[in-house]
Amino acid sequence: MTAGWAWLILALATYPWLIGADLASDVFASSSLTIFISGVCLIAPSRRLRRWQSVLFAACLGFLFEARRPVPDGIVALALVAAAIFLSSNRPLLRNTPGMLRAAAVVNILACLCWYLGAAFVAPVAAVEPASQVTLQLLVAGLAGVIILLPIALTQNAVMDRLGVPPAPETP
Amino acid sequence: MDQNRQGARASYIALAIFVALWVLMPSAVRRLNREAFAEFQAPALHLLGKSRDMATFWEKKSRSTEEMAAAGRDLARINAALEIKLNAMDDVRRENIRLREITRYVVPAEYMSVVARVATRDSSSWWQRIVIRKGRNDGIRPGAPVVFGNNVVGRVTAVHLTTSEVDLVTSPGFRCTAYLEGDDQNRIALVNGVASNSLGTAKARVSVIPHDYTPPAGQPARVFTTGMGGVFPSRLLLGYLDGGTYSTQVGNFKESLLIPSRDLYNLQEVSVLVPLHPNPGEALMQGDQFQ
Repeated sequence: MTAGWAWLILALATYPWLIGADLASDVFASSSLTIFISGVCLIAPSRRLRRWQSVLFAACLGFLFEARRPVPDGIVALALVAAAIFLSSNRPLLRNTPGMLRAAAVVNILACLCWYLGAAFVAPVAAVEPASQVTLQLLVAGLAGVIILLPIALTQNAVMDRLGVPPAPETP
Repeated sequence: MDQNRQGARASYIALAIFVALWVLMPSAVRRLNREAFAEFQAPALHLLGKSRDMATFWEKKSRSTEEMAAAGRDLARINAALEIKLNAMDDVRRENIRLREITRYVVPAEYMSVVARVATRDSSSWWQRIVIRKGRNDGIRPGAPVVFGNNVVGRVTAVHLTTSEVDLVTSPGFRCTAYLEGDDQNRIALVNGVASNSLGTAKARVSVIPHDYTPPAGQPARVFTTGMGGVFPSRLLLGYLDGGTYSTQVGNFKESLLIPSRDLYNLQEVSVLVPLHPNPGEALMQGDQFQ
């Protein structure tokens, strides 16, 4: 039974990291930067959870980010779900630490791009210097992805070990 | 391996079908989903705000007795000065009521003030928001103006049970009418937030400034609310004009940037002015809470 609900328990265990990212966004609020880590949180579970569990976990992460922000409904959640399907179908990409780091940066940047463009779509005004702003935000997302992946993955792996989720195969 | 590939393909097809359903789904369902996730996060935001308050409390508690005595003395002086001002205000208030009675002036909308602590701040190019620790349970309604003293902070955009989201003056979604200091004819200008430049200070834009307007010399011109539209009470300070005005492309009016009257990202506490009688704009806000 626990393994079936592993995605939910894992989402609850990951939530403090998301709150931590909100706290970091709070600190950087005066520079108009959002610290986005929802894409990073998806990497370690995608190695071990079953695909449907990974999908539900990704949707939760996305909806948690969107809930208090003016971005179109479902845009981050659906982008993360698509990433979860891709990652859980291509586990060899996450076989080693460099692969995971690369995936963290790429998934985080793409998900960040999705919410940035989505927010731009519903915003009532046009951007002043869109290219530099989006570049900076994506750079921050990529850096956050690389820096924060290892501690998040350690926490998530510890939780998955406790829940009895089978470890990732060495040669998937 | 083939099974994995087939499973992936089926998942992508399922996702595509879900996306189509999601788009066609009634907006009430999407709003319910958003509300559920926002409510789930509310306790954590409360905890965050309360821990920050506790840290401030212990930081203040660690100060020496001499410092506290000096602060108390300063406060006593300020209180004495304010008391004199208060008496003067009382006379003005009585005179105001008398004149209103004579002219049968329609009393502007009245507000109930709800003081709320700030839980978190969140900003990007597309939004500048704060989350406050008061919500529907405390009588807050969408569209209510948020102030700090005499300064406008922003407007409530979304209300949850115990938290509310406030769009700051500099947020792209913010709009209101304004009077400029030094304009004797009280012509109306428009204030709206702009998509801020990352790493830059967020500012709003003041547009439709009359061509012949000249800001007062030696000091930045103050920008006040007009009280029109029934959202903000009149004569609240929105901020200051930043530098000189410049001509717009049309050439009939001038534009300038607005520096908020306070550092909006360092506020610990704000007041929400909830209108005692709901105004027509609120119905529109409730139908479009996420904007």
